[in-house]
Amino acid sequence: MPNPKTTGFTRRDFLATGAKLGAAFIAAPYLARAASIGGGSDSLNIGLIGCGEEGRVLLSAALKIPNIRFRAVCDIWPYNLRYGERLLEKFGHDPKPFEDYREMLSAVPDLDAVIVATPDFVHAEHTNAALKAGKHVYCEKLMSNTVEGARSMVRTAKETGRLLQIGHQRRSNPRYIYARDKIVRGARLLGRVTNASAQWNRAVTEDLGFPAKQAIPEDVLHKYGYANMHEFRNWRWFKRYSGGVISDLGAHQIDVFNWMLGSNPTSVIAGGGRDYYPNHEWYDNVFVIYEYPTSEQVVRTSYQVLTTTSAGGGYYEYFMGDEGALKMSENPKYTKLYREARAPEWDSWVAKGLIARPGSGEGALPPVKPWEKPLSHPPMMSKSVSSVVDVRETAELSAWDMPVTLDKAIHQPHLENFFDTIRGKATLNCPGETALASAATILKVNDAVAARKMLSYVPEDFTT
Amino acid sequence: MSEPTPSSPAVSRCEYTWAFLLLRLFLGLRTFFEGVEKFEKNGTYSFANYYENMGRMAQGITGASFLPLWATRNYAHSLGYLLLILGAALLLGIKTRCTLVATGLLYVSLSFGLMAVQENEGVAWLGVYIGLFAGALALVRHNRFALWRDRID
Repeated sequence: MPNPKTTGFTRRDFLATGAKLGAAFIAAPYLARAASIGGGSDSLNIGLIGCGEEGRVLLSAALKIPNIRFRAVCDIWPYNLRYGERLLEKFGHDPKPFEDYREMLSAVPDLDAVIVATPDFVHAEHTNAALKAGKHVYCEKLMSNTVEGARSMVRTAKETGRLLQIGHQRRSNPRYIYARDKIVRGARLLGRVTNASAQWNRAVTEDLGFPAKQAIPEDVLHKYGYANMHEFRNWRWFKRYSGGVISDLGAHQIDVFNWMLGSNPTSVIAGGGRDYYPNHEWYDNVFVIYEYPTSEQVVRTSYQVLTTTSAGGGYYEYFMGDEGALKMSENPKYTKLYREARAPEWDSWVAKGLIARPGSGEGALPPVKPWEKPLSHPPMMSKSVSSVVDVRETAELSAWDMPVTLDKAIHQPHLENFFDTIRGKATLNCPGETALASAATILKVNDAVAARKMLSYVPEDFTT
Repeated sequence: MSEPTPSSPAVSRCEYTWAFLLLRLFLGLRTFFEGVEKFEKNGTYSFANYYENMGRMAQGITGASFLPLWATRNYAHSLGYLLLILGAALLLGIKTRCTLVATGLLYVSLSFGLMAVQENEGVAWLGVYIGLFAGALALVRHNRFALWRDRID
């Protein structure tokens, strides 16, 4: 039997070493995360106001960005606040929790920036206070539930000289940037853009509930402007807190109309109603038509948001020209490029790497099995004669892909753009002035629904 | 001597002859070009392409079935040449009866490989061809225009 003294490794040594190795193994990811938070000159101290649904989405995206240190979190609901605090602690941050944003801004003076992810009706209040406290602000869309609120944010940002980024995150998505700059504007693969449409069709969702024990006392709710716990949890459906589905879901896509077409609309006509959910105030379905003046022609666009069905192809923005069309979505599976039969061949663009033959989905070759020889050219497809029901039908469009992917959380590039701008390494992709124009574009839809007639915009609608 | 009526044995034999010739030419062309296609990659034909394609096929079948690589590789490397030889023999009419049997067996062996990887659509297509080979064997006594006839013809 070997002598423990001669081997120099006793059972006690073994247990002690094992325990140390185990502890190191368990702590390794946290140590690595803590190291990535950093404390160098590039490191930014961040505060988060609002740890609800959207706040958590932004937190998850921001936690993947190096040199970001969350120093404070704020939420009027302790249940949300604890969640945010614990999540950040898990990732090596040490945030101070606050119920009131005013306390947060005064108690943690070394914040570089504040992320605002609260309900729309308090965006202006929270953003203006943070800007006045000398912080840069990233505020979730919709900028405000009123155009005047949005204007006040832009004015405050100008007065304080602080940065204000609004969370229309598609503007920082590399796929969207590539589509606009390279495909639509650079190579002009759509030809002359004549129309656009977009939609967000979402299935019925139940109202958000809350654990009875976790309900916020009524006096606290009233202090912060909420009527009751149900409205606090489901504020998107009530008029005093939000602009309804058109500002909740539509905001992202109507903002893309403005961004892609490079202009603001001159008129809007819309219809909608609260026809399904009896306990909501805002419309549950809205249909909109805008007119956008562009350098080539008036581009008429349609938009629909439905909250009672996910049928009809999900959510996307579709830009149509006389030579091609671009269907964009944050979900890559809905994204496709289409070439009109009359357009010049696109093979040269494939050779240049601008676009790609479909690798999957519509227009793609069937998958090759491991024992099959890959086809060097597409098989001759038999077109179904029976599918042509009218001689006036034009030739089928061919489907193509964009060779750009986003391998990050969808909000991450927009947050990165904000942080990089603070560091002086970039410019904001969605500054307050731009987002104000989008907010004005979007909020007038509700006026048009109520007026039941076409409403016009004047240039002053989009500025301070 | 009267002219043969449409139902007379002479006319029937002529129809069977043409029926078999059509079947023989179709099966010959299909088999031959199936062999040629094995040498193609990106529009070019070469022995290097052949061994690359066949190597992929052998690996794929082995990866998805119980068949060992040495067996699938040997089979795959000889498959293209067999298809070319048998296809050409069918087209030219060289020992047609034996060639039909050999080609039919080759298609059965292909369907065995596809059965092993549960490629049911491919098995169904090969089943159609095997039916055509069976039909051709039933008509082979009407074989004409052959370069090297079977002794029984």
